[in-house]
Amino acid sequence: MDVVEKREKIKKSRLFWKTLKSQKMLYAMSLPFVVWVFVFNYLPVWGWTMAFQNYIPGNPFWQQEWIGFHHFIQLFQDERFFLALRNTLAMSFLGLLFGFTIPIVFAILLNEVRHSLFKRITQTVTYLPHFVSWVVVAGIVTKVLSTDGGIINDLLVGLGVLDQPYQFMAEGKWFWAIVTISDIWKEMGWNAIIFLAAIAGLDPQLYEAAKVDGASRFRQIWHITLPGIRPTILVVLILNIGHLIQIGFEKQMLLSNSLVIEYAEVLELYALNYGIGLGQFSYGTAIGIFNSVVSIFLLLLANGIFRRYSNQSVM
Amino acid sequence: MGIWKRSLQLIFILLFLSWLAACQNSEESDGSAEGDQTNEENTEEKNSSFNELEPVTLTVFDSDTNPDWVEDMDTPVGRKIKEDTGVTLEAEFDIEGGETKIPLMTASGDYPDLIVSKGASQLVDANALIDLAPLIEEHAPNIKEMLGEDGINRLKWSEDDPSIYVLTTSPVDNQALTPGYGAWIQHAVVKELGYPEITTLDDLKNVLKEYKELHPEIDGQPTIPLTMNTDSWRIQSSFLNSGFMMTGASDDGEYYIDPTSYEATLHYRRPVEKEVFKWWNEMNAEGLLDSEMFVQKSDQFDSKLSSGRVLATIGPDYLMNSAQEALRESGMEERMYGVYPVTLSEDYKSHTYQSNGLQVGWGISITEDCEDPVRAIKFLDYLASEETQIMLNWGIEGEHHEIVDGERVIPEEEWEKRNSDQDYLKKTGMGYNFARFAPRYGDGVLDSTGQPFTINTRELAMENQTDVEKEVLEAYGVELWQDLFPLSDEFPVKPWGAAYNISIPANSELQTINQRALDITKQLVPKAILEKPDQFDAVWDEYMQALESANIEKAEEEYTKLIQEKVELWSN
Repeated sequence: MDVVEKREKIKKSRLFWKTLKSQKMLYAMSLPFVVWVFVFNYLPVWGWTMAFQNYIPGNPFWQQEWIGFHHFIQLFQDERFFLALRNTLAMSFLGLLFGFTIPIVFAILLNEVRHSLFKRITQTVTYLPHFVSWVVVAGIVTKVLSTDGGIINDLLVGLGVLDQPYQFMAEGKWFWAIVTISDIWKEMGWNAIIFLAAIAGLDPQLYEAAKVDGASRFRQIWHITLPGIRPTILVVLILNIGHLIQIGFEKQMLLSNSLVIEYAEVLELYALNYGIGLGQFSYGTAIGIFNSVVSIFLLLLANGIFRRYSNQSVM
Repeated sequence: MGIWKRSLQLIFILLFLSWLAACQNSEESDGSAEGDQTNEENTEEKNSSFNELEPVTLTVFDSDTNPDWVEDMDTPVGRKIKEDTGVTLEAEFDIEGGETKIPLMTASGDYPDLIVSKGASQLVDANALIDLAPLIEEHAPNIKEMLGEDGINRLKWSEDDPSIYVLTTSPVDNQALTPGYGAWIQHAVVKELGYPEITTLDDLKNVLKEYKELHPEIDGQPTIPLTMNTDSWRIQSSFLNSGFMMTGASDDGEYYIDPTSYEATLHYRRPVEKEVFKWWNEMNAEGLLDSEMFVQKSDQFDSKLSSGRVLATIGPDYLMNSAQEALRESGMEERMYGVYPVTLSEDYKSHTYQSNGLQVGWGISITEDCEDPVRAIKFLDYLASEETQIMLNWGIEGEHHEIVDGERVIPEEEWEKRNSDQDYLKKTGMGYNFARFAPRYGDGVLDSTGQPFTINTRELAMENQTDVEKEVLEAYGVELWQDLFPLSDEFPVKPWGAAYNISIPANSELQTINQRALDITKQLVPKAILEKPDQFDAVWDEYMQALESANIEKAEEEYTKLIQEKVELWSN
């Protein structure tokens, strides 16, 4: 090894210790959180060993029978699993696509509204559903789409679009749309708050200058508002990509019924029914591991696309 | 691209961390057996008896819902139980039969003191339950008296393990006054049509059709001829069970058990059941079926029935209670329902009343985490005693019933409350509130003074009928709905009990196939019903094939073995 390089290295490591010393309070302050993340996010990964065992609850670890990839093989032979995988991918993609863009559009539209009372009322009304639990939302959605006096069907029949009420909840092909739309209904207003705040922070002089230059309102949005909130959009997108991992299953569980299960069963629901539900912890863990693999794959994919267009990266 | 490099890094980090975690794990497992706080206080008084009445709190998990439960047992009956036993129950009631909660308990190793489960194999496999046999032998004279030698014998777990893990909470020698399953038809319908004979599905169809033509709307809203409660598990107990209920078999869950060879068949695979489901399909094609039947939630079902525009439904009695009460309360007595023994054709009899013998398998267990099992079994024994059983049904003497000439009588005003106040059980603490935690005497069983334990006597039931109901029953020439049904003395007692009560070994292939078959069934049978009639056969064939490729024949073999083992075990 070259002498200069060696010296560089020593210098670097000295520098590290030096910084550590001078910033020891900062390190001490962050330590509890590092420990917290370790305990709650990394320790549970130990449970993955279950997937390679014939796990029986209550028995100590060394008495469990190791069976290798048996559960994974079983998993990949199950066609239901592939349906669940398809549904998971489809619904997370739809969720990201619409759940992310619509709040931006909504925030911009709301910002263009001149009537301030109307604006405020609209904003409050749209973010309230965020606080309603999925159980209640599922009830509302079922009622609204009901063929027996549901408002959507009444409207469509009344306008002559349909001859007779249509059973939306019984058709698998509608399920993804119903989940995505109810998710948008629930979260749109809430997610728009941050964009509204960003828009409010833009310098009014820019708009005034644009007006003087004869820019139409659409031009103002395109050249001032959107570029102005670009950093915010990027941060939120990064956060949303991070949340891809948590597809969740409440919506699917609460909104589905036996007729649409083919389109409603997501991986987590599948793990719940066939893993925990049947007491097959090992099988459930195998599904869970695969779910994590899918999530990481989604994250990397989204991040890759994201980086190509913005030269920034989550990781 | 750096993605692969990064993900490789990630994997290494994970591996390193899992190695770290491995070192941590051994310490962790020691800490998991923390008992319940309230019980720790009680460890010293291990041998406490009721005389000392050291207050104790027992935690209990129940797989069924109980809207009538009052925290801290703060009801007249609850307080009396607390006073007598010193036990306060801290109860948790589940809404989905413990299907998620119990596996989570076994995964974490933390148990309440008592668990009421619907099948305990997982708990037994996890060594979570203690053997009740010696406890019952030593501390539970009342339970022994109630169940008898034979009953106790039935509680044994298996040939290899004769321990008793689950104490049944089913009624003993029950002959329910209200039929357990049937077609529920509005009084107004039969009354207007001149009390037609309704014994077959076709009769039912004709009646509904005729009435709908006469009254396309009820109270300004469209008439719904037939609907059903198919929300989550209820689809099994109402809709799917109609397959065997209409074709002369009694409830054995998803399987049909041949009474002579004890051979199990997934009941949908019986050729005759196809006819029943074909009937459903026809009903749908003719517009007699609620289009929301497979979509609606339980509360939607209740509110439809309570609005009085549903002419009929098919299902078990317990799914009818809330609608019946609501109709009664709002004075729509002619829109309440009577229950009829409808079958596919005259060749079949409703087997609702066939006796299972003592039902075991579902019931209450004491867990390893219980600090004082003796106290717990004594509490259960207290609940099973004659005195308590009477109190749970009749309430407290002088408050909810009186004794006139040595006989228990419920005063007029209490009756009034019982019938019209939906919260009566909640306010008093009677009924299923506590009866659910221990074996209990069923309807029609007499106490030591020759009076019935439950208030469900013929006379009282008749007294309790509405005028419209009386009129309808009289027109059919009977006194009670029960009288329309063939009763238990017409059928032999099933030597395997009820098949759905037999625990299936956890982690077995049978369990997975059953779940798979149920998933397929829940999806394809409703689909077949909603198809056009000429497509029904095709979908049904698809369904049969899906079952076969799910390896159902293997499951049937395994199930047959379980049934035969059980018959063997119990006949000794």
